[in-house]
Amino acid sequence: MSVKTDGSSNYEYVTARVRSRRAKLFDGDDYRKLVRMGPGEIARFMEETEYETEMNALGARHSGVDLVEYALSENLAKHFDDLLRWSEGPLYGYIANYLRKFDAWNVKTVLRGVYTDADREEVRDDLVRTGEFSDRFLDRLLDAGSIEAVTDLLENTIFGEPLAGAFSEYEAEDLLVPLENAIDRAFYTHLMDDIGTQEPDSPKALYKDFLQAEIDFRNVRNALRIARSGADIDPAAYFMDGGRLFGVEGIRQLASNTDELVARIRESTYGDDLADALDDLEDADSLIEFEHALDTALLEYSQTLSSRYPLSVCPVFSYVLSKEREIENVRAIARGREAGLSVEEIETELIQ
Amino acid sequence: MFELATALGSVVPVLQNGGAGGPAIGATAAAALAVGLAALGAGIAERGIGAAAMGAIAENEDLFGRGLILTVLPETLVILALVVVFLTL
Repeated sequence: MSVKTDGSSNYEYVTARVRSRRAKLFDGDDYRKLVRMGPGEIARFMEETEYETEMNALGARHSGVDLVEYALSENLAKHFDDLLRWSEGPLYGYIANYLRKFDAWNVKTVLRGVYTDADREEVRDDLVRTGEFSDRFLDRLLDAGSIEAVTDLLENTIFGEPLAGAFSEYEAEDLLVPLENAIDRAFYTHLMDDIGTQEPDSPKALYKDFLQAEIDFRNVRNALRIARSGADIDPAAYFMDGGRLFGVEGIRQLASNTDELVARIRESTYGDDLADALDDLEDADSLIEFEHALDTALLEYSQTLSSRYPLSVCPVFSYVLSKEREIENVRAIARGREAGLSVEEIETELIQ
Repeated sequence: MFELATALGSVVPVLQNGGAGGPAIGATAAAALAVGLAALGAGIAERGIGAAAMGAIAENEDLFGRGLILTVLPETLVILALVVVFLTL
């Protein structure tokens, strides 16, 4: 099911453009300014940056925080579609596989919308129009009135089989969790499709390295959430295959003990790259701080990989991650200001 | 494998006798070959640099001058190879 392409990759072109776009992301100074602004000011600030086109296009129809949100998600979709437009050969395949992340997000959004009987327009606004699914297909998903209809539509995609498998469980418990879990699992399983073991430092091996890191961090986060929530759930049920840090057994033991978990990461291949972030991890008291430290650690690792292997898929993925973080940060600031949170409170929410 | 060995065995004496002991190609021809190979190498180098430069220019047009200079830097290889031609003439 993975994307197959011929020809050679144009790493030079894509990484040059990606690096340039990366340099245009908001930095610490911009965030310091943004957290002190009201929603209207944020919108005006964004008009003078990367987001100019989107702000101008949407400015007439929306205002305030809504405008910021719509502009953010349009901009995200635009940039990620650009990545696909530029890339050729195997590089296109890697990026396309990775951007299925947003297919997974969209499917989950639609399922949640159907489940909660949300308004079609509201759900449509929450979709991120990038990834493999075409706009037409997304609209058809929106029009599907029931969960069963959605799963039927997805039959021929990577999500088809896992969803069909989880459907009976959904029917029995009337909970979305099994379906959402199946979607995540389908996404991560297909990322690693026919990669196999590769020569170190070859393009495929670097692609694999990056994804393994992401899966490892996701496993850590899931385990921690389960441990902190105190719910009687087996961490193994949410375990993603393909990481190199833990096995199913390991995650079960480490989930309950944060210190041991940090020690384990420190000893692993990520240890050297993540020294600073790990110190934060150890100091973090709340789950949110810990998760943010994890996010920062993953960002840092992706940046290390991208400067160590400049002509590989790593700078591209690292850009995708940073861009996503930026979107989340700006959204958090805008929503936080609207809700009247203090500057300090919002600053703790930011991931840089 | 063995057939190839026998085939080579019959070709090699012919090649060796043909030049009557001298080099296979003349000095000027060898210099021309050197220039050609240097140009090929420069071309391969410029392929990557040019692609990256185009990417950078597409994002920021001010980089045109810098991109152009970096793209033609490998041309020095060809110029150095031209020296060989003048030495042989």
